[in-house]
Amino acid sequence: MSESIIPESELEEVELYHPKSWWTEKVFSQDAKLIAIQYGLTAFAIGFVALVLSWFMRIQIAFPEMAIISEGTYYQFITMHGMIMVVYLLTALFLGAFGNYLIPLMVGARDMVFPYLNMVSYWTYLVAVLVLFVSFFTPGGPTGAGWTLYPPQAILGGTPGQETGIVLMLVSLCIFIVGFTMGGLNYVITVLQARTRGMTLMRMPLTVWGIFTATVLALFAFPALFVSAVMMLFDKLLMTSFFMPALVEFGENLSYGGGSPILFQHLFWFFGHPEVYIVALPAFGIVSDLISIHARKNIFGFRMMVWAIVGIGALSFIVWAHHMYVSGMNPYFGFFFATTTLIIAVPTALKVYNWILTLWKGNIHLTIPMLFCLGFIVTFLNGGLTGLFLGNVIVDVPLSDTYFVVAHFHMVMGIAPVLVILGAIYHWYPLITGKMLHDGMGRFHFWITFVGSYLIYFPMHYLGFIGVPRRYYEMGQTEALYTSSAADLNVFITIAALAVGFAQLVFIYNVFWSAKNGKVAEKNPWKSTSLEWQTPEQPPIHGNFGKELPVVYRWAYDYSVPGAEDDFIPQDVPNEKVKLAEGYTELGVEKT
Amino acid sequence: MSIFSILSQKPWTSDQAKIDDKHSGKSSSMPLPRVALYVSMVVMGVLFTLFSVAYIGRMAYGDWRVLPEPPLLWFNSLVILMSSFAFHKATLSLKENNNRRTREYLFLAGALTLGFITGQLFVWRELVSFGYFVSTNPSYAFFYLLTALHILHLIGGLIAWLFVVYKSFTAEDESSNFPLSLNLCAIYWHFLLMVWLILFTMLLLT
Ligand code: HEM
Ligand SMILES: [Cu+2]
Repeated sequence: MSESIIPESELEEVELYHPKSWWTEKVFSQDAKLIAIQYGLTAFAIGFVALVLSWFMRIQIAFPEMAIISEGTYYQFITMHGMIMVVYLLTALFLGAFGNYLIPLMVGARDMVFPYLNMVSYWTYLVAVLVLFVSFFTPGGPTGAGWTLYPPQAILGGTPGQETGIVLMLVSLCIFIVGFTMGGLNYVITVLQARTRGMTLMRMPLTVWGIFTATVLALFAFPALFVSAVMMLFDKLLMTSFFMPALVEFGENLSYGGGSPILFQHLFWFFGHPEVYIVALPAFGIVSDLISIHARKNIFGFRMMVWAIVGIGALSFIVWAHHMYVSGMNPYFGFFFATTTLIIAVPTALKVYNWILTLWKGNIHLTIPMLFCLGFIVTFLNGGLTGLFLGNVIVDVPLSDTYFVVAHFHMVMGIAPVLVILGAIYHWYPLITGKMLHDGMGRFHFWITFVGSYLIYFPMHYLGFIGVPRRYYEMGQTEALYTSSAADLNVFITIAALAVGFAQLVFIYNVFWSAKNGKVAEKNPWKSTSLEWQTPEQPPIHGNFGKELPVVYRWAYDYSVPGAEDDFIPQDVPNEKVKLAEGYTELGVEKT
Repeated sequence: MSIFSILSQKPWTSDQAKIDDKHSGKSSSMPLPRVALYVSMVVMGVLFTLFSVAYIGRMAYGDWRVLPEPPLLWFNSLVILMSSFAFHKATLSLKENNNRRTREYLFLAGALTLGFITGQLFVWRELVSFGYFVSTNPSYAFFYLLTALHILHLIGGLIAWLFVVYKSFTAEDESSNFPLSLNLCAIYWHFLLMVWLILFTMLLLT
């Protein structure tokens, strides 16, 4: 195959934006890589707040007699913790940070297609975060409505933060969605229209597939949250009755009447369930790539992996009401949603099999990213299995609103994606900074985080079985429900949670320490095939690639190809330039 | 290429590689602004659809009151229809290379749009003067909410329209992408006309 058959570039070389001052280069930057870092740091900063809130909650649950926070504060902390973790941390990290950094580099583009819009997207996100954060300091504090913000209680007296907290929360969500939409347009169109020559959709790494599909989901799902937030703001500020039924508060008839709280639940979960996959699909994609790279094997069942990502994405829009089994719905309705929920488990399980089959007989390097991936598989499997329990109406009804649910969703969408994020940071840190993260601190971080998370959440399943309810700041003296063994268990869980929290401090220290003092990373340290590691400089500079954009000749999974001397062939290396191993005349053809 | 044939490719085989090596890297030959407009229209479509679903869902509850239909709404509908038509005429005139005529229609379209927005504000004033406030009944609340949202989208469009007007003065330049911008603006107006007609029908059906 000669190089001449490669068609001339059809993409007009775009005029790159060139910053004119320090401000436009380092702060109001339009370079996707810097925007990614800004997204990442902001998300981690606000995520750290959510982590600290969880410490307070855990201490309160374990040692209620200390009463370090009041019951109102407990609700506020639950709410802020949940919402920050799900939306402001995970969504922003996977799409805003990883999406921005990896999409252009992995598809062979110089930048996102609309860099200016991309910059505005980040600053809008920052405003959303600040508005949310400010609510801690307003009279009445942040909202305590629970991260689901169910009306009518979310905007009524008696719920903490009903003065301004809830308004700021809703406004912040609207701003977040506007900002995300700007970024989302960029991610989708860059993937569709700005790939380099030879990069067909099916030659893209699964990471890009995951982020791309998740972005499409988000563009469809976030409008539902926007609609519910706007309508609830109307109910709160203009006294409309979209969601508010007739109510008597403290003996007084309120002017609301006739609204439907269930309508809110439908809208919220039409967003809320796809949101789980907005977080999960990028994690699936990243894990697939990391496993393949660190086991030096092509991913097992590549096409099935793509199909599963797309299929799960589509199915995730018809399962939302499994969050509403206890809202008094028609049993046939429940039957339908239980069925779709179980169907979505099929492509999900398939992915787990394929990861395991990729590992099978692989040349597994127990690097830190690989450790995190293994941790992810175990955790995700665990959370997925309990999801099958909760997906069935009759099993869910008694377990609903117990610690079983808390254990389930933390396993599946809390710990599992966080493990992927951490693994991904260890993996791409050398690319971003040119330094390696400190290995010893990294391994300490992994083991404490992984084992610690299990010690936190595994016992919670048992608490749920015996009926300990979620969202309670204190269990009281009911010996029947809350046995002394359960109380001891809660102390144990809290100690584990604090240990895990401490490990994250070590990680943060490592990130900053290594940026300065870390070992200088060799070029392409993990010997990966995908384009982001093939840039002339490491870390890549503005414009990503040198004078010429790379041309792609193969998919992203040519690891341990028989006949090749190295155990990987980068995507931009044509067959005739591959160094052959001894005894081979051609790739895959032995000398006879 | 359909999504199914893409998804059934086997990128690791050497036969497929021969085909893939020739791929330009773009999924569609459309220019970027057009793709951006289409994707944004899908997102806006989702937004308006969800509001409509909420509207229909809320209608089913007993306290729903029928919305009065000020005759002005019919007039406004005619105005927005005409502004869309003016955009259409502008694109046609551009095809005939009649730049002056194009610009005239472009101005007309903008003026009609402003007229529509003003008309909608008058409808609001009329409703308020009858004592139909946002909080009186959900049907009024939806009316205010949906018309406001629609107006906001038109205002966004008017900002784009300003750029197009500006570009129309440099349309003779070789490098100008005025025809594309005008075409996209017209598409967006037709889209918002459709949205309005659907919203209006929904209001009439209550
Ligand atoms: C080790 C880290 C974490 C700890 C110790 C922790 C702890 C807690 C605690 C104590 C609660 C309140 C339980 C209750 O009273 O019902 C809670 C709720 C919650 N957490 Fe976490 N969490 C952690 C990480 C995460 C992560 C990474 C996520 C991301 C998805 C997350 C999402 C949530 C959500 C959505 C809620 C429910 C909030 C609500 O009920 O409204 N958590 N967590
Ligand atoms: Cu769900």
